[in-house]
Amino acid sequence: MKIVVCIKQVPSTNDVKIDPQTHNLVRSADGVINPFDKNAIEAALKLRDQTNGEVILLSMGPESYRESLLEGLAMGADSAYLLSSRALGGADTLATGYPLSQAIQKIGDVELVLFGRQSVDADTGQVGPIVAEYLNVPQVTFAEAIDLTEDHHLIGKRRLDAAEQEVEVELPAAVTVRSEMNQPRYATPRQIQKSFEKPLTVWTEQDLDLDPERIGLAGSPTQVTQVYAPAAAKKRVTMLTGTPEHAVQELLQSL
Amino acid sequence: MTDKNQKLANQMLMHMISDFTNNELAPVDMLIDKQGDYPEGLFELAVQTGLLGITLPQQYGGAGFDYAATAQALQIMAAGNASLAVTLEGHFKTIEQFMKYGNPELNDHYLPLATHQILAFSQTEPSGGSNPTGITTRAVKQGDNWVITGDKIMITNGGLASVYCVLAKTEDDQLAVFVVDQDMPGFSFGKREDFIGLKGTPVAEIVMDHIVVPDYHLLGQVGQGLEIGDQAHADARVLMGAVLAGIMTHELQIAVDYAKERKALTTPLYQLQVTQQKIADIAIAKQNTELLYQQAAKLKVQGQPYAEIAAMAKSYGSRSAVKVGDETLQILGGYGYSRDYPIEHLIRDARAMELAEGSIEKMNLEITKAEINK
Repeated sequence: MKIVVCIKQVPSTNDVKIDPQTHNLVRSADGVINPFDKNAIEAALKLRDQTNGEVILLSMGPESYRESLLEGLAMGADSAYLLSSRALGGADTLATGYPLSQAIQKIGDVELVLFGRQSVDADTGQVGPIVAEYLNVPQVTFAEAIDLTEDHHLIGKRRLDAAEQEVEVELPAAVTVRSEMNQPRYATPRQIQKSFEKPLTVWTEQDLDLDPERIGLAGSPTQVTQVYAPAAAKKRVTMLTGTPEHAVQELLQSL
Repeated sequence: MTDKNQKLANQMLMHMISDFTNNELAPVDMLIDKQGDYPEGLFELAVQTGLLGITLPQQYGGAGFDYAATAQALQIMAAGNASLAVTLEGHFKTIEQFMKYGNPELNDHYLPLATHQILAFSQTEPSGGSNPTGITTRAVKQGDNWVITGDKIMITNGGLASVYCVLAKTEDDQLAVFVVDQDMPGFSFGKREDFIGLKGTPVAEIVMDHIVVPDYHLLGQVGQGLEIGDQAHADARVLMGAVLAGIMTHELQIAVDYAKERKALTTPLYQLQVTQQKIADIAIAKQNTELLYQQAAKLKVQGQPYAEIAAMAKSYGSRSAVKVGDETLQILGGYGYSRDYPIEHLIRDARAMELAEGSIEKMNLEITKAEINK
């Protein structure tokens, strides 16, 4: 079974910077794998071991994203692809989903595409569903458990804010993974060394024959006009002192 | 691998060790000290995560990182908890002796086990410590075998390790190192020491009652025992310097955090000159120890003499970690004296390394001897 896991590199600190021109996040070289994506990698590795399959990592970003792909390879993935070129830069979720879906088609015979439920920097949770739509495959979002059936289906347990839902879909399919699904393994020291021997291919828009109107900043319908931190609402706290009886009286009066 | 990729691999190792330390080790630092052992599953997780194989060559199933990267990894780990770092220090220095002195048959037999079992080096006996000339453990040649009999005490990882290198005297009073393991008839464990610090690292006695080992279990040659013992000490001291730098990293963090948070009347402690002097002392001692162990590790990787610098790293580092631990305790005042705060156990942890792998006094004698002979 060929499984693709789409991963994103996110800033390793809370000190994120915003590009004053585009209002997009400045992609720092000092990044880590988006934590939810590690859950997706762990899920893929478990399924690979069950099915004697193959786990392929896919990411889009600058050359520095190679480090996150190497970390994913060190966790145990078999190979990796990085979509990287200036033309792909500045993409919103739609202009990210399109090249990713084209890359998955080029990889070929992919039966399952996994994503983290959302990235911790942009927090949209849109790329997984967009890729599923481009690929025209069923999607299971916010999954906290997945199982394969013998008749080539996948059963996903979705956890939503106020409900749980069990969904059965036919493969190929796309799934976005919640952190409750598993505890990601650490990259072992040996696998860190071995990760440099695994195939890591860099593709540009030319390799994927992408429509230039649908990639990068030009292909992004989303326009970020302003990014700001919400003003913290000031709460008033009154300490009630004295005996419990006195405090209760005071509380009742104030209510 | 290219130098650029190896540098990146080293960075990835440090990130991984940092994650492991923050997620698994630091949260149980106080627990390890209080319960006097590793919590259930922690050592097994360290094994599963491949930490025993950091420095083990890839041909034996390890990762094959060099000694400088390994030492740096132990510093990061020790900043979360020093016990596991010392357990790995004892393991790694023993692997080094196999790599330098082991014959192919011995290495093929034991080194693949080192990814999931601890190897230990045992020299000290009830009658004496770092002076190996007075040891009483005997190795008697019988045909193609050796028969080993004796007691070894204060063995780092005693009871946790399954393979032991033991220093023994042959019938013609020559020193030699033999490899025994816990499954051999005649092998048993004695008492585990109730030490005041490094409470997770087991230190125990082993008893060898006529253990029969084949000839290939001889590490190096008969007569090389003293050299191998000295080599093991030097390798251990590099890594102990790293562990001590890690303990001081922890001490510095505690001092800085507290000085920022705590006020004397309305003034935060860090704005008081008396606190500033102490924090500077802690930072300088940490930095000096870091430079010393890194220099020793670099020399070792380059194949140059490093024993003197390694002795400096351990001598200076252990004395400093205890001293600046005391300064940190002073900054914390009454809280520092409480067992609810970690600083008192960091002092006890560091104190072990003023003794282990040669006392400070022995380090200083060796440093002086090296300087006189220059």
